This record gives sequence, structure tokens and C-alpha cells, in this order.
Amino acid sequence: MENMKPKMMQKNFFTPTVIGLTILAINGLIFLLIRFVWGIGAVTNLDNQHPWGIWIGIDVAAGVALAAGGFTTAALGHIMHKDQYHSIIRPALLTAMLGYTFVALSVMIDLGRYYYIWHPLIMWNGSSVLFEVGMCVMIYVMVLYIEFLPIVTERFIGRVNLPGFLKKLNKPVDKFLRVLDRGLEKTMFVFIIAGVVLSCLHQSSLGTLMVIAGPKMHPLWQTPVLPLLFLLSAISVGFPMVIMESVITSKSFGLKPETNILADLSNIIAPLLGVYLAFKIGDMVIRQTFTYLTEINTSSVMFTLELLIGIIIPLRLFLSNEIKKSPTGMAIASFLVVLGVLMNRINNFLVAYNPPYAQHSYFPSIGEISVTIGFVALEILLFRFFVINFPIVSVPVYSTPQTKFAIRGGSK
Amino acid sequence: MLNQSRRDFLKTSTLITSATLGLNSKSKAASKYVLSEDRMGVLVDTTVCIGCRKCEWACKVAHNLPTEPIDTYDDRSVFKEKRRPNDKALTVVNEYPNDFTDKFPIDVKVQCMHCDKPACLSACIVGAFSKHENGAVFWDSTKCIGCRYCMVACPFQIPAFEFEKALKPDIKKCDFCYKDRTFKGKLPACVEICPVEAITYGRREDLIKAAREKIKMYPNRYVNRIFGEYEVGGTSWLYLASKDFEKLDFPKLGKDPAPGVSEAIQHGIFAYFVPPVALYALLGGIMWINKNKKSKEQEQDK
Amino acid sequence: MKKILLIVIIISFQLLAQNKINVNHKYQELKCSTCHTCEIPTKEKPCLIDCPRDKMITIEHKAEEGPVVLTIDRLKKQTDIYKPVIFTHRLHAEMSDMAGGCKMCHHYNPPGKVIGCKECHEIDRNRIDISKPDLKGAYHQQCMNCHRQWSGKVECLSCHDLNANQKKSEKQKEIDATKKVHKKVEPPKIIKFETPKSSSKFVEFLHEEHFNLFSIECQKCHSNESCNKCHYKFKPVPASQKSTLEKHTKCSNCHDTKSNCTMCHSNNAKNAFNHLERTGFDINKFHSKLTCQRCHVEKGKFIGLNSDCSTCHGIWTKDNFKHSLVGLQLDETHLEFDCTECHQNKKFEKPTCKNCHDDKEFPKDKPGKLVK
Repeated sequence: MENMKPKMMQKNFFTPTVIGLTILAINGLIFLLIRFVWGIGAVTNLDNQHPWGIWIGIDVAAGVALAAGGFTTAALGHIMHKDQYHSIIRPALLTAMLGYTFVALSVMIDLGRYYYIWHPLIMWNGSSVLFEVGMCVMIYVMVLYIEFLPIVTERFIGRVNLPGFLKKLNKPVDKFLRVLDRGLEKTMFVFIIAGVVLSCLHQSSLGTLMVIAGPKMHPLWQTPVLPLLFLLSAISVGFPMVIMESVITSKSFGLKPETNILADLSNIIAPLLGVYLAFKIGDMVIRQTFTYLTEINTSSVMFTLELLIGIIIPLRLFLSNEIKKSPTGMAIASFLVVLGVLMNRINNFLVAYNPPYAQHSYFPSIGEISVTIGFVALEILLFRFFVINFPIVSVPVYSTPQTKFAIRGGSK
Repeated sequence: MLNQSRRDFLKTSTLITSATLGLNSKSKAASKYVLSEDRMGVLVDTTVCIGCRKCEWACKVAHNLPTEPIDTYDDRSVFKEKRRPNDKALTVVNEYPNDFTDKFPIDVKVQCMHCDKPACLSACIVGAFSKHENGAVFWDSTKCIGCRYCMVACPFQIPAFEFEKALKPDIKKCDFCYKDRTFKGKLPACVEICPVEAITYGRREDLIKAAREKIKMYPNRYVNRIFGEYEVGGTSWLYLASKDFEKLDFPKLGKDPAPGVSEAIQHGIFAYFVPPVALYALLGGIMWINKNKKSKEQEQDK
Repeated sequence: MKKILLIVIIISFQLLAQNKINVNHKYQELKCSTCHTCEIPTKEKPCLIDCPRDKMITIEHKAEEGPVVLTIDRLKKQTDIYKPVIFTHRLHAEMSDMAGGCKMCHHYNPPGKVIGCKECHEIDRNRIDISKPDLKGAYHQQCMNCHRQWSGKVECLSCHDLNANQKKSEKQKEIDATKKVHKKVEPPKIIKFETPKSSSKFVEFLHEEHFNLFSIECQKCHSNESCNKCHYKFKPVPASQKSTLEKHTKCSNCHDTKSNCTMCHSNNAKNAFNHLERTGFDINKFHSKLTCQRCHVEKGKFIGLNSDCSTCHGIWTKDNFKHSLVGLQLDETHLEFDCTECHQNKKFEKPTCKNCHDDKEFPKDKPGKLVK
């Protein structure tokens, strides 16, 4: 087996796609500015009947779910000790870190009083699901940053090069980084397990969030097992997200896709999807909500699409061996799972939410869509930035390195 | 990266356990609130209400909200559409046709119901809502962060948000005139002004008794139901009507408190923090076993 | 000795009190405690409850007995938005006369003084007993109940003036100037109903007889009618939409409307009520000046009386019956006989002479002389 080592990508940051994404990001930021100057009402289509829009439904709920790759790969690689997957842990970690950062940002822009975002730290409400989600996400973001720190130390140890008068500090900083690196190495397991536990907690609790809405939510989605469904869907979307992003990264940087590792990952996806599907259908049968599928309206169509595109079709695809041979095939199947979970989160938070007394139904405004797309664009740009400037993506190394930090000696 | 010792592991995990247990004890205390036997309430008799909308005016004046002069409230054309309380009006009156006589349309005042088991209180991330001893569900401006989860949670769709404000937007809802009036033993502004006393303020128990008496005395006048007696675990505001409540746009709700299921799940997952800590320990165990297995294999390879 | 004296005094008081009892008491199935707080009420100390809140005969007063205009200022406060209402009591009382009477507003009007709203309804809205509305609520509920029907409007300014308005109000001027009273409504004598039926098309309702002869109170039929009965601004429900049962409710309170149609429905005009024709008992001779209630004591029920004289008059004997009252002064011989010697049936109709005389026969021969 060839040896894999994370390496910084030697590429220019700017490409035509990147410029396009930058424009989208700037467009989003402009609308964001309007939101901060004239209030939420000026940008969004939200009203008293529809307090939450796509900033919560997509940016936060779907964002958290799609960043699940971080904890699922950590569980697989570190806790189950499947060493062959180590090469995908870092990209997944980076996705999770960026994903959660933007989740936090999205929460902040959606908060009416964003400057009080620290309030939950000192004002506790134990019965509030949102409090639990908030605390877990807050701690988990910290954990993700800590988990990411070794990559930073690896990048900079022996290469600290501060500009100008700060040069004097080069040596102390280097020393500090080495101490940090050693300390982190000893305690990292604490954070890795914490990361998985925290993820399980808030991924499921995101589902509990909507349980309190009670009869305001369409019965196709409203169920006491919502937290379980959210957790299962998060777990099953983790690996597809990693596969998709790995294939795209490979394409983008002209690397050979890691077909073998990805195929191995794909083998795990099918059972996970199967369990999720079983619970979803089981819940539907027990609560006899399938009767709602006989009538045709937005809810029933969206539910069917979510089930079909998001679970059943990709499940079939991941069961076929043909797919597992082609990185593109796996990427497409993975994309369907990702789309399915995205749809599920939108459905749960927006489509299923039928408030009483609504004068009109909710559809996101241009401003809301712009900000959401802008955030996604920004995330991709940052991902690219990190991949170019930090050792994230693993490439085959044929000479066995002797020391941990061999990479910097060799390449410079 | 992962060659930690077993002692490290135990040390850190006990630390985390104790920290989380500390968190648990505090959060439990925050979720408690008083539900007094003598809590007050308001009985709205929709058969008495004449739809003069003086309560709307009084409410706005009492809460320093901008209002048109009082004589403009005589304009009955507002009843053409159904209105909802919002950030500019904490209570509104809607009019519905009376099936028996068009001389007496049914007027229904809408405001926060002040639930005994409020969903907003359970949902609020910072505990900005409180249920006071006199029954009022009160929103605390100093805590609120504007997440609007209370609006998602409320079964009556009452809390409103100042979407237009960039800084310090408030959640607006009827506060039972808690600070300036009911806390000091005075009447809520709407009750005080009501010319026909369609809204009666009193002990919730007494109100239920009085309502039952009314139904008994005039069985043809009322449907045999006091809305709010049992709905979502009981509310401080109670309604009597001559027509099915669902036809008067009251939500169809069960007897279970609105936050019941979600709190059950939440307290199940966090029962004394045992499940998360157990999961933590389990994952740690698996990690340790797998690591040992790996290092043994490596030793054998050598 | 003192005790006995006391008891005697009490008993005599009781007797005195009972003798002076209002006639109506007899016909009401009332417990003493409904109206009196003490066990033994006397004329001096009747210890009456102001408002018994129980259904009983209310004393009807005439509209003229009440005040002409009232200013309802019991609740007046400096901070009020509106001025107190100047209430045209007389006008409203006259209007009530045509509908439910005083009790339209003064719900329970026991014998004694008329009770104003403030006697029972508390002034302070923030109160413990919430079983009845407070005074402000009571006033407005009473007013709005009719005013809402009348115009559908609920503006305060239709009765109140703004407190800010210092001048003598327009309303006051209007009241001062007109002193308007309602035009006297003459009750119709006969109301003729035409039904869509082919046979027995007409129902002639003898309206006057019902209230004059049978002393049925107007409100018995004209309840909840208020002004709209005549001045309707809303369309009444057409009779054709009502069920047979609904159409007859007012009559079926007293009459059997289910099995006997021809009693009211007929093709020709109805004769005035004739007691002999209807019941077989002639009241024209001796009973014509009596009110119906004198014999039919149970209120609202006019059936089931035995036509025997003893039912009402008890046992007549030659000693307690003054025969000259029937128009015939018995001569000395006949005065000695028992009644039954000549009147052999219990109705004391045509006497028989056969017991003593073979050749005499009433009315050709008379046992005395006629008197007038």
C-alpha cells in the first residue's frame, strides 16, 4: 500500500470559478450589510407567522447536518482505528470546521440581537432544546478548532516567519507552537471523543427543535422520533459529503481520486442509509401518516421526493458495484444523499411548518437567497485557501519519511 | 497523535464528568417556575363582547405604543379581515358571523393566553420568559437575544417580533400588564376599560366556577366548553362562546402541555447527564480497545 | 308568665302579619327565606332581601312612576374620557312597557322598592365576587343589548359626550327640548292571520280577550321583542322558513296545537269567547264580574275546575246561604227546608217541587217572591 501524507497544494488561488464565487460572496455580503443597517425585515420575507427562514433551515440546520463528515470520519478513523481512512480525516475536519463556523455566523446574522449571542453562556434554560443545541455547537466549534490546531502547528513549526519588528518573536512563537503540539498530542483523544459525543447530541437535538411546534408541523414530519431521524440522517450524510468533496478536490487540483478508499467508504454508506430509511418508513407506518401521501400537495410531493431522491435511489446506487468503480458515479450518488438531507432539513424547518393564521406562505427573498449562496461561496473559497496554505489533502509519498515534520525539509 | 496513557484518559474524563454534572444542577434550577393556586386569569365572554375595540386602544396606551385617537376605533370596517396581534398591537378583536342572528356578530379578543405550561418559556434559549405567581407569562428584554424560537414554539402563534428594527428588536406580546398593573394588584388595562365587562379579571379558579355557572344558567347561549381550561395544560385566559371555538379561529389543541414531548425527549437525553457521559465512556472504551489491538498487531509485525 | 305573654304577642303579630299578606303570596310557591332574612318577618320588620335573584312575580310599575331623566354618574371619575350618560328613564320605561316591562332592566323586581343597578352590582371592577358583572359592565350590558340590535353600532358617542367637551352637551339640549315620549301603542282587538292552507285558512286571534279577559301579561308573549318588533332594521326570518313547531310556540304554551287544529283554524269569523259554549259552565249568571284568576287560581292554567258549586264555595246550608242573592226571596215556609229538598243536583240548578207538591212546577210557580 502506498503511503499517504497531507501536503499543501501548489496551485494559484484564483481561477475563473473562484472569481465567480467571489462575486457571489460579495453580493451576499452586501445584502448582509443591509440586514445590519435596516434590520432583518428589510432583507428577508420573514413575518410573525414565519419566524424562521432559510437562514435557519438551510444555513444552520442543513449546514450542521452536512458538516457531519467531521465527526463520522473522526469516529471511523480515530475511535474505530481504521487507519486506512486517515487521509480523509483532515479534509473532513476542515469541512466541519468551516461548516460550523458558518453555522455560527448564520445563527448570528439571524439573531435579532446578534450582539447578545453570548447570553446563553450565562443565562441557562435547561428545558430549552435550542439552549442545548447552542451550547453543544459552541463547544463543538471550539473542539473543532482544537482538533485543527495540530495542522497549524505542523504548518508553522520551524517556519515561523513574522514580518518586520515582530521578527524577534519568531523563536518564542516557535517554542510555544512546539509545546502546544506536544500538549495537544497527549490530550487530543479527549477532544476527539468529545467531538463525537457533542455531535450526536446536537445533531439529534436539532430534530427535537421542531417537536415543540406540535400541530403547527405537518404530520408527515412531526414525530417524537424526529431527533433519532436527524441523527441517523446526519450520520448517513457524513461520508457522502466526504466522498463528494474528495472527488471535487481531486478534480480541482488535478490529483488522482482515491478510488479505493472512497469505495471502502461507500460500502459503509449503504447500511447507514438502510437504517435511516427503515426508521423513516417504520415511523410513517406506525403513525399511519402514509395516508397524507394519497393527496397531492407541496408536503406530500416534497416528502416523496426527499425519500426517493435522497434515500432510495442513492441506496440502490451504493449497492451496485459498478458505481463503486467510478469516482464520478460515487460523487453523483453521494450528491443525491446530500441533496436528500438538504431537502429533509428544508422540509422539516420550512415546508412542514404550517403556522396557523398565516396570511401567505413563506418563500425566501432575493436577499435571503443571496446571503445563503454568498456564505456557501465563501465557504468554498476558504476551503480552497486552507487546502492551498495548509497540509490538508493527502498525496502519495513514496519515500518513507523518517520524522514527523519531514515534509517541510523535503519540499523547501 | 494518539499515544495517550490510560491515566491521562481517566483524569480528563472525570474532570469533564464533574463539569457537566455542575452544568446539569444549575440548568435544572432554571427550569422551575411557580404555578400558584391563587394565580389570576381573565374570562372572555365572547357573547357579551360588543367589538368596540376599546381594549385595543387601552392596551396601546398602557404599553406606550403609537395609537390613533380613540374615536377612530369606532370604525368597524377593520373587521372585514381577520387580524392578528403583532408588534404594533398586542391585542386585537376579530368579528365572526353569528349563525342564529345577524344582530349579534361574535367578537373575539385575541392576545397571549398566558399558558400554565408555556411553550415559549420552555423553548427560550436564555430563559427570557417567566411565569409569574399571578399567572403572567412575562418576557424579559434584558435577556432576549432575538432568536424567535418562542414564535416557533407558541401553539397560539402569539409572540411577534420587530423585524424592522436593526438594533434591540423586541419580542412583543401581551404581558398581562405585569409590571405596571397586575403585579401591584391593579387590573390589566383592557379589563379596566371594557365597557361591558366582557373580560373579567379574577382568580382562575373563581373564573372557571363562574363560567360553569353561566353555562349552566344559559345552556342555549353557550357551547358547553371553557376554552383554556384544559387546552395545552390550561391557560390563564379563558373563553366562553356561543359557537364552536374552532369556527372562531381558535387553534385545535389537545390537553397535553405544548412543551411536553420536547421536554420529555430533552430530559430523557440529558437525564442527570448519564446518557452523554455513558456515550463518552463507551466511545473512550472502544477507542482504547482498538488502539491496544493495533499496537499489539504492530508489535507482532515487528 | 312573661314568656307566655311574649309568645302570645308573637303569635298575634304573626296572625296580624299573615292577615295583611300581599294577595300574590298565596299563588306563589315561595319559601319565606327567598325574600326574608329573618325567620318571622313582621310588618314593622319585614327584613326583606333587596334582590332575591329568584324567579317570582315581579311587581310591575307604571312608566310614570319612575324618574323622567337620570344622570348615571355613580362611576364618575376625573380621568374619564366620557361624560356620564344622561339617561331618559321615562322614555325607556315606556318602551319597555311595550316589551318586557321593568324587568327588562331591573331583572328581579320583588315587592317593595325598585332596585337600581348599583344595589347589587359592585362599583369596583377589581373585586372578589365575580359571579355578576360590575356596575360599569352591568350598565353597558343592559344598554348595548338593545342598542346593538337597534343600530348595530357600538360607538360610545351615541350615548356619552366627551369629557373634554365643556359646553352643555348636544345630547342634554336634545333631551331638554323634546321631552319625547313614545307614541301610545294601541293594542289591536283582533288579529287575523292568513295561512297558506286551502281549508281552514284563517286564524282569528282574539288579542284583546287574551290580555283583558284572561289577564295574560303582555310579556308572556311579547318577550325579547324590543324595538325591533315594530322598527325592524334587520329582516325577520320569514314564517315559511320556520318549522310547524316554531310557528306555534306562542300558542302552544297554553293551547294544544298538535291534535286540535280547528280550535283556532277555521274558515269563518270567530265568536268572542263564551264560557258556556266552551266549557258547559255558564258564568253569565253570577260569575260574570269575576276575574278569571278568582277561580282559576293557578296562574296560566284555565282548565280542570269542577263545576260543582261546592268546589269553590264549600258546603252551603240553609243557614249560611242568603237565597235572595239569586233574585228570589224564599217565603217563610220554604226557608225552613234544607237546600237538597228542592235542589237535588249539586249544581243547584232548576229546583224540583215534586217532593211536596204534585201540581206545582218551577218556574211557573215560585217558592217566594222575585227581588231585584
